[in-house]
Amino acid sequence: MKLLKKRKPNRSRAGDFAVYIVLALFGWFFVLPLIFAINASLKPLDEIFLFPPRLWVQKPTFDNFADLFVLMGKTWVPFSRYIFNTVFITVVGTLGHIWIASMAAYVLSKYRFPGSRAFFAIVVTALMFAPQVLNIPLYLVMTKLGWVDNVLAIIVPAFAMPMGLFLMKQFMEQIPDVLIEAAKVDGAKEARIYFQIIMPLVKPASLTLAIFSIIRLWNERASNFIYAEELKTLPYALQQIISGGSIARAGVGAAVSMFIMVFPLLFFIFAQSNVIETMASSGIKE
Amino acid sequence: MKKEKKHKKPKSMAYRNAVTGYLFTLPFIIGFIMFLLVPMFQSLRMAFSDVVFQDGITYDFIGLDNFKYAFTVDPDFYPNMIAELIQMAYSVPSIIIFSFFIAIVLNQQFKGRGLVRAIFFLPVILSSGVLVGLETNNSLMAGLKDVIAETSNLTSITDTVKKMILPEGVTIGPIMYVFDAVDQVYDIAIASGIQIIIFLSGLQTISPSMFEAAKIEGATAWETFWKITFPMISSLILVNVIYSIIDFFLKTDNEVMDLIKQTMVSKVEYGLSSAMAWTYFAVVAVIIGVVSAIISKKVYYYE
Repeated sequence: MKLLKKRKPNRSRAGDFAVYIVLALFGWFFVLPLIFAINASLKPLDEIFLFPPRLWVQKPTFDNFADLFVLMGKTWVPFSRYIFNTVFITVVGTLGHIWIASMAAYVLSKYRFPGSRAFFAIVVTALMFAPQVLNIPLYLVMTKLGWVDNVLAIIVPAFAMPMGLFLMKQFMEQIPDVLIEAAKVDGAKEARIYFQIIMPLVKPASLTLAIFSIIRLWNERASNFIYAEELKTLPYALQQIISGGSIARAGVGAAVSMFIMVFPLLFFIFAQSNVIETMASSGIKE
Repeated sequence: MKKEKKHKKPKSMAYRNAVTGYLFTLPFIIGFIMFLLVPMFQSLRMAFSDVVFQDGITYDFIGLDNFKYAFTVDPDFYPNMIAELIQMAYSVPSIIIFSFFIAIVLNQQFKGRGLVRAIFFLPVILSSGVLVGLETNNSLMAGLKDVIAETSNLTSITDTVKKMILPEGVTIGPIMYVFDAVDQVYDIAIASGIQIIIFLSGLQTISPSMFEAAKIEGATAWETFWKITFPMISSLILVNVIYSIIDFFLKTDNEVMDLIKQTMVSKVEYGLSSAMAWTYFAVVAVIIGVVSAIISKKVYYYE
């Protein structure tokens, strides 16, 4: 590891410079929407509707956020309830998803059993299906289960997202079989191999799955299956706030997008530094 | 030992593998069947029926009529699908090359690496329904596009370069491909967030001792890249190609997806919309099947 941290002797100062130039150029593309969103949320109303639109705010103001908080206080159920619902769905859904998907991915990548290949093929195929069309049939399933107006209708399907299984399996294939054989020789049972050897090794992959799942669940409006007001989610409530008013709420809308973006962003920054640390310490070696 | 054998025969390796396999996959299989396979087959049934919502749902079996309608009568379905396929052929290779390149750069040591990595993941957070999803906020998105066009001004740059290099009217296949790809740099960059993360985590799992060994043997950086980095990450190229194709086809701003949604929401034609979705699904499945069959032959699995 030390060797990598050292400056590569064959990369010149010009090379360093080139790396920075490339990153700055593309980084600008990537950061542009965020800059725009931040600026939009700080713009007074007349600047939001300025044409042609400007990227940078001229007279920054926190009015949009102040308006947003006032409107939050006026909702039917206390606003903290919406926040709790979304946090609950996100946390439970994500943890369950990582657990169930990685368990399945582990055996699919490291064991051969009848039907394993066929099952994985079906999962990958199902990834390609347009999810929008499934709304009505899915509603029928939920009615049969009696899960309409129940958070289970959001959480449980999130457990079995095919994309998570697919990514996890591909990551697990890179783990050398030798490690598992060694553990078996030492007398470890499957559950122990899974929890103590496989899971620590795929920590970066689990964090990737977590990011996926958090983004999806955090933005879940749940308007298809949840009708009780006290079970509705944060994005739904925020959208009601924006669309409830006239065009004058555009400023509040900009503040809302900031408000809802913050959590996934913070999680990513946390996960990102964590990924680097685990990789440095685990180091899959032969 | 002998006593135990008398009690019960030791189970075969294959049997034990199967038991473990089914036990570990069971929760996923149940969820997958209930919330994906069952609804999928229900929608398949809708595709072959005239769906009427009156006192519950009634399905009248009408055979292939919905499919015939989609291809022969609907003015948008077929042309839109062809257009998206061509677009995909450009986008996906560009996304793969771009994200691979960025991942390698991000895997280098330099100051502020954590921050830069976070920046490159921003579009995934921003585009995944946060800004787009708040539909009432569309004026904001429209404004964003204008600003991007104004600040980046890429179109004009490529146009100028094109005029410098090529005489008027001359089109050379591969060169045009590059220009078209550059024209869409912004779209490509925005669509590469997840792919960069996947490549990056793959790069980090390559054992440093390999590079160490290569260096001691006197390999140059170029050789190290092609003989170690590239083969070690080739399985993730397959993953990323599949991911990019799926992501491209299922994006909400994809014309076909939009058409399917419109048919369902505004026209309330569930049968037709399901038929379109299944046709589209079949096309995407065939493409991915062919592409992954070609790539997986080249993939190197490290044992």
